[in-house]
Amino acid sequence: MEPTKLIASTRRKPKKRVHLAKARARRVTVAPQLEPGAPSDLDLMLRIKAQDPDALSQLYDRYNGILKALILRVIHNEAEADDLLQEIFMEIWNQAKNFSAQKGKPLGWMVTLARRRAIDGLRKKQAYQRAEERLQNETEQQPDAWVHNATEEEILLSDTRSLIRKVIRGLPPAQQQAIDLAFFKGMSQREIAAKTNTPLGTVKTRLELGLKKIYDGLKELRDEL
Amino acid sequence: MNFSEFQNQSRLYVIGALEAEELEEFEKARDKFGKKGEDFITKCYALHEAFALSLRPAKASSAIKDRLMAMVRAKKQA
Repeated sequence: MEPTKLIASTRRKPKKRVHLAKARARRVTVAPQLEPGAPSDLDLMLRIKAQDPDALSQLYDRYNGILKALILRVIHNEAEADDLLQEIFMEIWNQAKNFSAQKGKPLGWMVTLARRRAIDGLRKKQAYQRAEERLQNETEQQPDAWVHNATEEEILLSDTRSLIRKVIRGLPPAQQQAIDLAFFKGMSQREIAAKTNTPLGTVKTRLELGLKKIYDGLKELRDEL
Repeated sequence: MNFSEFQNQSRLYVIGALEAEELEEFEKARDKFGKKGEDFITKCYALHEAFALSLRPAKASSAIKDRLMAMVRAKKQA
């Protein structure tokens, strides 16, 4: 898709506007809602810093599903994803002293760490070529595989997750694909250009427009962003 | 690089999508914008959180948590 068409397509989003207005009214935050009285993520991180295994256990229960989904999205292998998940939580335990609340929230820190480890794992295990072939198939068959990873009927999504997905779904497929390849596969702009047979400048435009729209969408979903 | 361009580059930076030559330019701009720039980069990391939350949670093998906690307790005792 030409950049001009991408720009044009971003200007007709009346449904998204209505949706985001509803989200604002409901005061939705990006982070999952906790049970009343449950310790915050920050409380748990502080206890992990103080070497409390129960805090790690609670953090694991809260986020293992999200982090495993992220890892699986990168490496596409159930057993390797489980192993990596264990390594990542061990790293959270070991690196908790380096976490700084001033630099972001615990979930963001954990996701950044998990993504980096998953992409490293993908490359180190020399499964890259096989993943590339799988990716090639995915790209050809489902250019918007991110959105259609599972049907909505199959998933009972929380309000938060549902809203984030809808923000992402509001992007044209070419922008979703570029962001998917960059974020979940760790590809550079040049690699994305080669993979999708698209001019480098177009890839850059797609990434910039797509990320800005997601960022702006999130900003509307949470006052603090 | 003006601040609007810096914001665009920051969003690419946090997902690791800047090319080497862009990274050099970005680091210069980062120095130029100082705290304002750092604050914006911190906000951009929320994109990571959002991408992860957009995925359907996956179920981990039940043995993983047992193994993890055994390793953590052993390490703590060591």
